[in-house]
Amino acid sequence: MSNKAIVYSEVQQSGWGYYGVLMAGMALVGLGLIAFFYLEHTGHYVTGMNNQIVWGLPHVFAIFLIVAASGILNIGSIGTVFNNKAYQPLGRLSGLLAISCLIGGLMVLVLDLGRPDRLIIAMTHYNFKSIFAWNIILYNGFLALVGLYVWAMMDHKIQYLYKPVGFAAFFWRLVLTAGTGSIFGFLVAREAYDSAIFAPLFILISFALGLALFILISYVLFTGAQRVLSKDLLKRKRYLLALFMGAVLFFEAIFHITALYAAEHSHFEQFILSGASGYSLWFWLGHIVLGSIVPLCLLLLPWWREQVSSLLGAAALVVMGSFIQLYVIIIGGQAYPLTLFPNATVESSFFDGVIHTYTPTVWELMLGVGGVGVTLVMIMIGVKVLRFLPVSLATAASGDIE
Amino acid sequence: MKLGLVVDLDVCVGCHACAVSCKQWNTSGMSGALTDYNPYGEDPSGVWFNRVRSYEVGDYPQNKTINFPMSCMHCEQADCVDVCPTGASYKRVEDGIVLIDQDKCMGCNYCSWACPYGARELDRSTGTMKKCTLCLDRIYDERLEEVDRQPSCVITCPAHARHFGDFDDPDSNVSQLVRERGGYQLMPELGYSPTNRYLPPRVTRLIPTEDVSKKSLISSVKEWVNKMVER
Repeated sequence: MSNKAIVYSEVQQSGWGYYGVLMAGMALVGLGLIAFFYLEHTGHYVTGMNNQIVWGLPHVFAIFLIVAASGILNIGSIGTVFNNKAYQPLGRLSGLLAISCLIGGLMVLVLDLGRPDRLIIAMTHYNFKSIFAWNIILYNGFLALVGLYVWAMMDHKIQYLYKPVGFAAFFWRLVLTAGTGSIFGFLVAREAYDSAIFAPLFILISFALGLALFILISYVLFTGAQRVLSKDLLKRKRYLLALFMGAVLFFEAIFHITALYAAEHSHFEQFILSGASGYSLWFWLGHIVLGSIVPLCLLLLPWWREQVSSLLGAAALVVMGSFIQLYVIIIGGQAYPLTLFPNATVESSFFDGVIHTYTPTVWELMLGVGGVGVTLVMIMIGVKVLRFLPVSLATAASGDIE
Repeated sequence: MKLGLVVDLDVCVGCHACAVSCKQWNTSGMSGALTDYNPYGEDPSGVWFNRVRSYEVGDYPQNKTINFPMSCMHCEQADCVDVCPTGASYKRVEDGIVLIDQDKCMGCNYCSWACPYGARELDRSTGTMKKCTLCLDRIYDERLEEVDRQPSCVITCPAHARHFGDFDDPDSNVSQLVRERGGYQLMPELGYSPTNRYLPPRVTRLIPTEDVSKKSLISSVKEWVNKMVER
């Protein structure tokens, strides 16, 4: 490991800044728990979900955090797998954030199950034909591998594991995100899905979302702890983020153009793209314009690209855009009705042939932000009690941020 | 044995008796209760194993409404079974009925995404998935008369549009009906090979809606006189 010279230390600050963020995180966890117990007490019918929209806002939060977890680990992998020394000091933090995001996402996913008390069954009974079962194995394996990876970075006694475990974690995270995307890609019955491209698309979403989240969180942690960030590293992240976003847009374009070309999917594509639904507005304004084009301008245009605020603004917009992208994929795909009788006008008393409506309730929002709260609390406690943050990332070559 | 249903679309009048009877029987059966949400409110809903869809074919005046009762098709290659992470969804080897182990289901809803027929529903009260059991607790109940060992929907249907039997037996009533009437599977192109079959509506002649019978001499004279008077 080449980051021997880097000194790490716990966050020393104990003022309102640190405890304010920690308390905010705990408050979000509290909201999530209240929502969970309310849903357990009354049943899931108090949510906006129904027989048509079976996965709602909590699932969007859960998948958002799970995809982010995988992407955030990229920062560590760039240092370990691709041997980029500038990124190696951030490996520990990358591991902490990845574990925190995954646990936050899984918490939402599990607590929104019809029977969350049967989690033990999911852990002990596997149907290996199910991509969902494979995902359970992948999530557990990810936690174990990244835990070992972080340990290898922090404990000199097992430093020999740093490289092999780092490689294993990198490949595991690629498979994990491919598995998450395949949850949708394997859905043959739905017009919106049934495509192999969901696996690479989700991997690329994780690259962009994970990096954007890492930029934001690491900036807050470093400045909050009054530590020095490397300008050179921020510049590298800027171009990397732009590259990832370009790749997401490319795969998204391929996905939609291919689907438009296939007659069986074209009606759904018109529904999502043509402005016939509210999802079109979310897609074009939220994901494409605000979540992709504006950040790309902030990252690449010469007027803004040198400013740190532009990078932070772009990262925040990418995070928002990725959330909206997942919302459109998950909710928009279910809102389009099943085609049971092609070329016929279908009627029934239970919403056949009509675009399904979904309005998330406050309980779903509370459960979702509860997962974000868990992530936040884990990060804040992690950097306080263990040596995750480098004392300084300053390099002599660049004028660094104090 | 491959047990399943045949539904005759030619005689189904869409009365929903099958759906109501199914709900009544199964709400106290092995998968019960089939919970109702807000049953006395403005927007009641609930869990149903069997729902009657309707669609129009043809253009006016050659159009016709087809009532299409749908429940679990008990597919031979059931995707809901393949996607279930815990194996709670399973297909019985002995009779081909697709069931959900209510003690293993954790209510993740993934099977309802995978089912192309919309046959699976989350019971938001029990937190588990529910679906048609082909009235398993009825068809094997030897305390009942043999004629009553049929799914509740089949016994109830006033138009005798529903039939139950073994598709593996070429001489069974369902096999004969499918053979004689061209019984078909819904969306066979997906490859799930649903067991349930539908008998297509027979081609019927258009019934004239205007009076085209030959006029009598008196009515022709009256018509001529009226025309003259109007001038």
